[in-house]
Amino acid sequence: MTPLERTAASGPRGVVTLGSRVALPVHGRQLLVGAVVVLLTAVASVATLSLGELGIALADLPSAVTGGADGADAFVVERLRGPRLVVALGTGAALGLSGALFQSVTRNPLGSPDVIGLASGAGAGAAVVALMMPGEVPVSLGALVGAVAAMVLVYVSTGSGFRNPGRLVVAGIGVAAMATAFTQYVVYAVERDKATALTAYVNGSLAARSWDDAATIGVVLLVVVPLALLLGRRVEIGEMGDELAGVLGAEPQRTRVSAVVLSIVLSAGAVAVAGPIAFISLTAPQIARRLTRGTGAHLALATLTGALLLVLADLVAQQSPIDDGLPVGIYTMAIGGVYLGWLLTREWRRGSL
Amino acid sequence: MTTSIDTAPGGARTARTGTARRVFSLICALALLVLAVLASVMFGSKPTPFGDVWDVLRGDADTYVTTVVESRYPRTALGVLAGVTLAVAGTLMQGMTRNPLADPGLLGINAGASAGVVTATAYLGVSGQAATVWWALPGALLAGLVLHAVGSAGGGGSVVRLVLAGAVVSAVLAAYIQAVTLSKPRVFDSYRYWVVGALGGRDWDVLWSVLPFAAVGFVLALLLAPALNALALGDESASSLGANPALVRTAGLVSATLLCAAATAAVGPIAFVGLAVPHVARTLAGVDFRAQVVFSAVLGPSLLLLADVVGRVLLRPQELMVGVVTAFVGAPALLYAVRRMRGAA
Repeated sequence: MTPLERTAASGPRGVVTLGSRVALPVHGRQLLVGAVVVLLTAVASVATLSLGELGIALADLPSAVTGGADGADAFVVERLRGPRLVVALGTGAALGLSGALFQSVTRNPLGSPDVIGLASGAGAGAAVVALMMPGEVPVSLGALVGAVAAMVLVYVSTGSGFRNPGRLVVAGIGVAAMATAFTQYVVYAVERDKATALTAYVNGSLAARSWDDAATIGVVLLVVVPLALLLGRRVEIGEMGDELAGVLGAEPQRTRVSAVVLSIVLSAGAVAVAGPIAFISLTAPQIARRLTRGTGAHLALATLTGALLLVLADLVAQQSPIDDGLPVGIYTMAIGGVYLGWLLTREWRRGSL
Repeated sequence: MTTSIDTAPGGARTARTGTARRVFSLICALALLVLAVLASVMFGSKPTPFGDVWDVLRGDADTYVTTVVESRYPRTALGVLAGVTLAVAGTLMQGMTRNPLADPGLLGINAGASAGVVTATAYLGVSGQAATVWWALPGALLAGLVLHAVGSAGGGGSVVRLVLAGAVVSAVLAAYIQAVTLSKPRVFDSYRYWVVGALGGRDWDVLWSVLPFAAVGFVLALLLAPALNALALGDESASSLGANPALVRTAGLVSATLLCAAATAAVGPIAFVGLAVPHVARTLAGVDFRAQVVFSAVLGPSLLLLADVVGRVLLRPQELMVGVVTAFVGAPALLYAVRRMRGAA
């Protein structure tokens, strides 16, 4: 496809038209950044499969991935790192998109599922189902119920819905603390003293993921991503403020509800397969926004950035010289926390938060 | 009144009925504390009826029951100490920052103290529980200073700003603590419960080693209470009343650091006691910080001990760490405080 030529020939600048019905706005910089993010993700994925003791040599990688491997390499691709990588990509994408939607609705970088207790709530729900009724109820359903319960609790306790950013964040911290305590209770009640089990449920981990997990997050993405992209235009218009959005036909109230629902489903799906991994949904949209230097929600780019961030974090977790058994959630919490501190100090200095 | 602190309901009473009410409340609070101490001695994996506990106290119970009951003494004493220190630290911090959401756990001071302990244990070969409080002190102080630096960036800290800065400090430190404890499981075998906050499994040595720090911090908090009353009127009014806001805050930071480090070294990082108790204390004691400190010191241990009893009974014969229970029952206090926040904050 040669979008730029076609744009020049048949429509206004920055718009790709397909026939006379479809017109997609395209920004050169966004495309470029998107391509770079995808490329980096590919590099990180290759590194994930080929680094370390069990890594597959670069020369063997193409055939191994297409199913031509045997012995140890096949085991690594099909059992060890393959599913883990796919789950990391899918979970990261889901978290990034979920964060972009929620941040856009609350018009606040801190209104992100991992800051306001959504992820912790989903984690508690997932822990209850996975540990107390294993096999009876799908974990993703438990995560969804937990996420919805956490959001209802936050919504009710702020007394002003999701509107006031300060109250939203503090209520979210409270709900997250309750959800984490509940998760700890469940894990101690069932697993007793297994420290690794506890940390996986509290922080989120990608160790020992299976193709089933990959399928779960894949289905969630397949359902939600098209809907989110359909909603994307309205979400971006919504950032102009309710009145203007209403005049432009974006139905701000309905858009908000839909975006929150999609965001909850995405987060719940991600938490169901990987646990409440911190700060990906906070940072991915922020990084996307800064890379494009633009305004707007950048849903697609936030999705790609989320995938890149989680694959990178998991690469670090797997190849870390300190201890390769630490769950990826600990790394994202440390790095994301420092980033959040930097973000806050900067915004506060400017007086814009 | 233009204080940012909630006044007691029905503030227009005469001083005498107010005092009578406060004395009555204090007596009730003390009775609650006695009940909490009794419950802490009676309940456990093997519940002991009150009659048996009474026999032990008089010294004519059989050896088995005596051993069971006496094994609960240290944890009860530690619960009292940690409850006092955390609640008083919370009162102090809420007064100093004029922020009703300040709490040693929520603001990351306890996380700093435990990061200090964890670092010393893992890398400096410090062993023995008595030495750890010395490492908790710099950790708590450092966390407090980072909190101050992040929270006051760009001038003027709002209520939410401090909590957010605390959440950031806590998150990063929690990641560090977990990374260290998970990668050195053998070193931290005996710290597993402490990391979450637990009263059990510690002995009298711990209590004696942290007691001096807690005592100094507590006395300092009492001495600061009148100045906090002045500070509640705003920095300018406080200056004109003869209090030096900068000095009060520095002394307050020292006192809070001592209290939090003592509590954390003894029982681990416990959140929300320092948030919930000062709110109740303020309702009962009114605006006077001297009374608030006293009420907090009585109510704090009651809450912590009762939470510990719940944790012991809930998963019998296993135990649930008290830190988990306080988070679950204390976080609603935060949600309640959020609803009462006025304006955009």
